[in-house]
Amino acid sequence: MIPIPRKGTPERDRLIQEHLECVKSMAGVAGFSVLKCATPGDTTHISGGVHEDPLLKRVLLRMRGASPKGKLIVICTKIDAEWRIGRLSGIRGVPPVFVDDTVYTSEQDIQHAIFLMRLDEMEETDGMPEHYHEGYKRRDDNWPVT
Amino acid sequence: MCAMRLTGYADKFSVHPGDKIKFYVNCDGPKKYSASIVQMINGDTNPRGPGFIEKAVKADCEGVYDGIKQVVYGGSYGFVADAPQLKPDSFTLQCWIWPTTPKTDKRYWKHGAQGLVTKWSDGKGYGLFINTDGCVELRINGETYSTGAPLRDHAWHVIAASFDAKTGEVVLYHEPQVVYALDPEIPPVKASFKGKVEHTDLPLVIAGYVDHVEPGPLGLSSLPQGVIVGGHYNGKIDSPRLCSRALSRFEIEMMKGGAQPGLTERRNAGPTGALSEAIVAAWDFSDGIDTLVAKDAGPYRFDATLVNCPTRALTGYNWAGQTFDWKVAPKEYGAIHFHDDDLDNARWEVSFEWTVPADIKSRFYAAKLTTPEGDEDYVPFWIVPKIGQEQSKIAVMVPTISYMAYANEHVACNAGGAELFVYRVPIMQQQNMFLAEHREYGGSIYDTHTDGSGICLSSRLRPILSIRPKYDHFLAQAPWQYPADLHLICWLEQMGYEYDVFTDEDVTYDGLARLENYNVIITGSHPEHNSGTQLDALHNYTQRGGRLMYMGADAWYWVHSFHPAYDGLGRGIVTEMRRCESGIRTWRADPGEYYHQGTGELGGMWRYRGRYLHSVAGTGMSSEGFDISSYFSRTPESLDPRVSWAFDGISYEENLGNFGLVGGGAAGLELDIVDTMLGSPPHILTVATSAGRHTEAYLLVMEDFGFNQQGLDGTVHPRVRADITFHETPNGGGCFAFSSIAYCGSLPWNNCDNNISRLTKNVLDRFMLDGPLPAAPKEAYKHRGRADYESPALASKG
Repeated sequence: MIPIPRKGTPERDRLIQEHLECVKSMAGVAGFSVLKCATPGDTTHISGGVHEDPLLKRVLLRMRGASPKGKLIVICTKIDAEWRIGRLSGIRGVPPVFVDDTVYTSEQDIQHAIFLMRLDEMEETDGMPEHYHEGYKRRDDNWPVT
Repeated sequence: MCAMRLTGYADKFSVHPGDKIKFYVNCDGPKKYSASIVQMINGDTNPRGPGFIEKAVKADCEGVYDGIKQVVYGGSYGFVADAPQLKPDSFTLQCWIWPTTPKTDKRYWKHGAQGLVTKWSDGKGYGLFINTDGCVELRINGETYSTGAPLRDHAWHVIAASFDAKTGEVVLYHEPQVVYALDPEIPPVKASFKGKVEHTDLPLVIAGYVDHVEPGPLGLSSLPQGVIVGGHYNGKIDSPRLCSRALSRFEIEMMKGGAQPGLTERRNAGPTGALSEAIVAAWDFSDGIDTLVAKDAGPYRFDATLVNCPTRALTGYNWAGQTFDWKVAPKEYGAIHFHDDDLDNARWEVSFEWTVPADIKSRFYAAKLTTPEGDEDYVPFWIVPKIGQEQSKIAVMVPTISYMAYANEHVACNAGGAELFVYRVPIMQQQNMFLAEHREYGGSIYDTHTDGSGICLSSRLRPILSIRPKYDHFLAQAPWQYPADLHLICWLEQMGYEYDVFTDEDVTYDGLARLENYNVIITGSHPEHNSGTQLDALHNYTQRGGRLMYMGADAWYWVHSFHPAYDGLGRGIVTEMRRCESGIRTWRADPGEYYHQGTGELGGMWRYRGRYLHSVAGTGMSSEGFDISSYFSRTPESLDPRVSWAFDGISYEENLGNFGLVGGGAAGLELDIVDTMLGSPPHILTVATSAGRHTEAYLLVMEDFGFNQQGLDGTVHPRVRADITFHETPNGGGCFAFSSIAYCGSLPWNNCDNNISRLTKNVLDRFMLDGPLPAAPKEAYKHRGRADYESPALASKG
């Protein structure tokens, strides 16, 4: 399993830059991927991102597979206009809560904001033996959920 | 963000001109709301498209109405009306249970004690419970007795409790069916209760208890009316018994066999005659699995009415693993799985109704509800002509079974794994936030219940917030299902076509009669969930010269049936589906639980009932990915005179659909391909393909491989693609398959002036003509194999 790149390392800076460029290129697409549109908002020609950076791909997979307990999520607060970051409760019937007051006016930019937050929140050794816990035995590791 | 204070539903999806439709509205807060009828044209607010479009319709129900709060009472249970025999002085209660959430988090939406078999409310009566520590508890009036041993979840246990009014002795048993090496013993708890059981006139409840009586208007939507059941139990219950004296442990063992009426020397082997005299009720849930009644085989026939359709046809404590169909071995299927979020009917009071004018056009409509404070909701419905009174040559088959399957879906917030398949952080809309807090509105067949078991039933008699305009789905970050199908409707309107609409429900019940008077049937973008009679009707239609335009992908995939117990309330009220041995499954049915409780038919994929997806319209599901879409290129077969007419005005080199309101392209989300080994007809032509153009988020479906391996994604796997196809059917019929869910999202692009719009128009213009399609050239008639063809790799080496 790959370690999550630490703060201040060139790998981490590279991932952040690549992710940001992909996000910016997706403005206007009715969908989203961490890939670069040759023409912003047009998916005819795509490259880069997860297709060409194996570390970025694996870091994102680690993030995406995290448990829903406390997981960051996007909440649309005004249709096609405003979005905010929330955190899932992981408990049925308990809705997500907003993490802060920041309002994003792009449904794509908020993906990058969450990427940065997750990089800060995830430990370098995430998923390694030192993180093995009781939940791994009891279907609480999220990966087999769907 | 504002909570959804205005929600509603109608008694029908499909209403005929001249008939009445009733609307049920919850207006929680605002004093008044306005209602009007609109025709729905486009539901997508994306600024790169035509924008939201609705058309006002004159309706006599239009007006301002008093805002009345209406409540959904979710959670399934059974109840028996009070009777003198249910008020014994002494008693023994016993049952098998397989609890799924014996202990819940304090913040869990229904945290609290769970009722198993109870004739108890507010400190009076008796009953078996699970307490908040997850232990079995007997209640007599205000006293509680517990073993102190937490129940193992997802495991069978025998639970029994007796009270002897003469001696005051109370005994409580908890005996796990399987005992592991390090499990502590759970001895019976013995105690003494001085006094009498104080009985009430309230019902006996299975899988809950009477929380309170609500005589006001908010009690109207509960069942029985005014009696509010709480303490919903999550899990299976099998073979509950009530006896009118304190039984010994040995007698409890005998009583597991239940009532054996008519004991003679030649029949039955249940409790002895003497013991049988103590039976008050002995429910046998294996009897009437396809009903909403939990039968009592005891002397008083205390059949319980089941509320909110708990799941049946599930394995009981005695399932032997030899028989997999409940109809063959019903006695091994005596378990009912109750869930605290089951819902079959919101049971609201009618808020207003509308008699549809006799001369109105068949179209997509909705009741539009608004308040001056800015609340808004739409309740969609479809006006469908009576058979024989069709208004157009074209008809759109609205995939309402699929809408029901996705109804009130919670995947983005329940399944953290959703990110792994959408390949980004999901976006929750206002509707998702509301549903996250209001589990009583029920989930979708994509969700798991609050206890983690799969949801296999979905009702349309509830507000379904996903069948709404202005609603982007997290799977697509764009419209999906209902609002995505409005892209097609918007295109038909803007291109000036006259068209009728009908629903899956209509075809299921009416069969070929619903289809045969149209020249062409157009599907929605994702008709994934289908009944057998619907597929029969489509087959009969195309075989008799009908034309089918399959506008999407991942269709004809899952076996659905409407639960017959709801036939009295109308057509297609509750649909059932089981996620069996293969297919894209957000949950997986357990062993022995593949057969529908309603019709008894085998559930799962049509493919595994020998009905290949590809045999319906030419192509079938092969991959899915939810990040971004791609586009199509023409293939040499598009030049074949059998089909070249479809490309009039489109050059060979053009990128087809490298634009769109779903993923940014016409080839996206879920994709279908030709496979003559899976039912595509041997003479099918592939006219365009998106081969080689998809991202790594697109993955081959699991039913197409038998071994996990690398190389299944869109950047490398040849089956991750969409094929647009045409084939002729007998008697001048034909099928065009566009094979991508995102396809319809490209139709309205650039004011409908684009090559996807042109291709679709060419096909529709030809398919809508009267009479058979022109015959194929003579040379097209030849013998063709399925797997057998001339491989280019071998051709030159002969």
